[in-house]
Amino acid sequence: MSKILRKIGVATGVAALGIVGILATQPASAEGQLNVYNWGDYINPDVLTRFTEDTGIEVTLDTYGTNEEMLAKIQAGATGYDIVFPSVHMRDIMQKLGLLYDAKVNTLPGFENIDPIAKRSSVDPESSYCLPYAWGAVGIFYNKAEAGELTSWEDFFALPDKGKKITMLDDLRETIGVALIMNGHSVNTADSDALKQAEAWLLERKDKISAFTYDIVPLVQAGDIAAAHWYVGATLYTIQEPDRLGFVIPKEGATMYQEDICILETAPNKESAIRFFEFYMQPEIAALNTLQQVNGTANVPARDLLPDELKNNPNTNPPPDVMAKLQIFVDLADDLRKYNRVWTKVRTAQ
Amino acid sequence: MAVKRDRTRLAVLLGPVSLFLGICFIGPLVVMIIFSFLEPGLYGGVEWNFYHWNFGRILGWADGEWEDFDWVYAEIFGRSARLAFINVLITLAICYPAALWVRGLPRRWRMFVVFLITLPFFVSLVVRLFAWVLILRPTGFLNYGLVGLGVIEEPLDLIFTETAVLIGMAYVLLPFMFLPVYASVEKLDRSLVEVSSDLGASSFQTFCRVTVPLTLPGIAAGSVLVFIPSLGNFIVPDLLGGAKVLMIGNLIEQQFLSARNWPFGAALSVMMMAVMFLLILIYLRRIGRMQTRP
Repeated sequence: MSKILRKIGVATGVAALGIVGILATQPASAEGQLNVYNWGDYINPDVLTRFTEDTGIEVTLDTYGTNEEMLAKIQAGATGYDIVFPSVHMRDIMQKLGLLYDAKVNTLPGFENIDPIAKRSSVDPESSYCLPYAWGAVGIFYNKAEAGELTSWEDFFALPDKGKKITMLDDLRETIGVALIMNGHSVNTADSDALKQAEAWLLERKDKISAFTYDIVPLVQAGDIAAAHWYVGATLYTIQEPDRLGFVIPKEGATMYQEDICILETAPNKESAIRFFEFYMQPEIAALNTLQQVNGTANVPARDLLPDELKNNPNTNPPPDVMAKLQIFVDLADDLRKYNRVWTKVRTAQ
Repeated sequence: MAVKRDRTRLAVLLGPVSLFLGICFIGPLVVMIIFSFLEPGLYGGVEWNFYHWNFGRILGWADGEWEDFDWVYAEIFGRSARLAFINVLITLAICYPAALWVRGLPRRWRMFVVFLITLPFFVSLVVRLFAWVLILRPTGFLNYGLVGLGVIEEPLDLIFTETAVLIGMAYVLLPFMFLPVYASVEKLDRSLVEVSSDLGASSFQTFCRVTVPLTLPGIAAGSVLVFIPSLGNFIVPDLLGGAKVLMIGNLIEQQFLSARNWPFGAALSVMMMAVMFLLILIYLRRIGRMQTRP
């Protein structure tokens, strides 16, 4: 049985690859080319322009919306991309699957600028494969006129009782993560009882949560939504209108994300990619990117080059006691299914 | 001889479309059905072992382990079917009178109106739906207008509700109902309507006994064309329902894009297709019987 299935599988796989091959319109992998596959709006376009000016290497940029989307595409055999920007737990998966190229990043000039704490990978603790790129906390983005000042998740969930609207992220790990934090569990727990507790906690609050969504910025700006579970990238808006908008890392704790830049095993332009690593490890380049991205950079000297509003911002550059309360996701392997079921139940409940 | 030439011609004419359907329709369908019986890969994809628990999971019996049973998946399915059915009624209620009205217009105006109906297809769906977010939100255009006109005192709470999902779906799928309904309304022989009133039927009787039965094929086609995409839609519930109105389409999307459980997503799709296929079969048979009735 399984032999037949395998044969069919190979056949469909070959067919699929053929189609991908026909449809792919990648430029030839000539010298002086770098094909970037990144999250949407996750790099300052000026950084890429500077790279082309400095090195003469032409850059193409393609984007994805989730780690899973990128993984699925790479696994399905998409070739032609040189560098990708997976979250730490996803780059661990990709490394285990043999999708990444060992660029010996930690031997490249400029690596001494990288904060040792940003070497977060469990399968690559010395950062030989990938370059730590950027990181940030996931907290609460709020409209001060509607929500007042917030400091905690407790404040956040008290808003609906005052007739204000709140939203959380449409992301099973992030939103269940908040419930786990509020119940004193790790955001990476595989314990069924802990997850049940988190599920019950979320179900109790389901009525209060107006929506699970990412697309919330204009609604918070207008005051339609008083406060939203969102990324530190919201600082871009809070520094423009500090009297009206705020962002806070809740005192109970929160999650954080970090993405690394990795070279794919199938990358056609590995030399260009390594040149990009060296280019990006220059403090002024990392600072140029952070200025537009308003998140945390792994490049230590770059932090000193930032304007005060970012350098001294407790959200983009949190003090050690806040850092200690931030948890990062690790890969759950099989246990992700438990989270999936909790998420389905929470979203189904009326 | 002539028969043979006809056959060759038929083969040449049907070849491209058969090839296209074979590769782009049957192919993925077969992959989906096979995947629904395979073991989920740890990191997405599949392991090539026969695995029937994907279907068990729908009943709460996942991976050979009895989780506490509940109706969560049946509930999602029921909700999707209910919303899709309501959407068929809404679009029909809008499109049928509109089609009758368009038929009464001068010829060149008719073409123009039909063109207008298809106009939204020129703009990306996501952009159009995001415009609806801006219309429906508490400080949006709709509430601004209604409060300004004094129709309501407090802004309506529309965004991120089931109502918003219904408005969005009706908006997106309106053309799919309008075009087939209009096609059959336009073909309607006016003399039959005149005969009916000459013979003393009231206009209501004429409508119920002549117009509707004669345009039933268009209504049926429109209903099927609206029902199916409504059932599987996931963009509208995400954007306008705030992902709180979970429909079967969202559930399937979740399996592929965040839960990395492709076979379960495939199993849900197979179930949905099977149920839909059955419903449509019953529906079409009924319609067929009604039409052949003397």
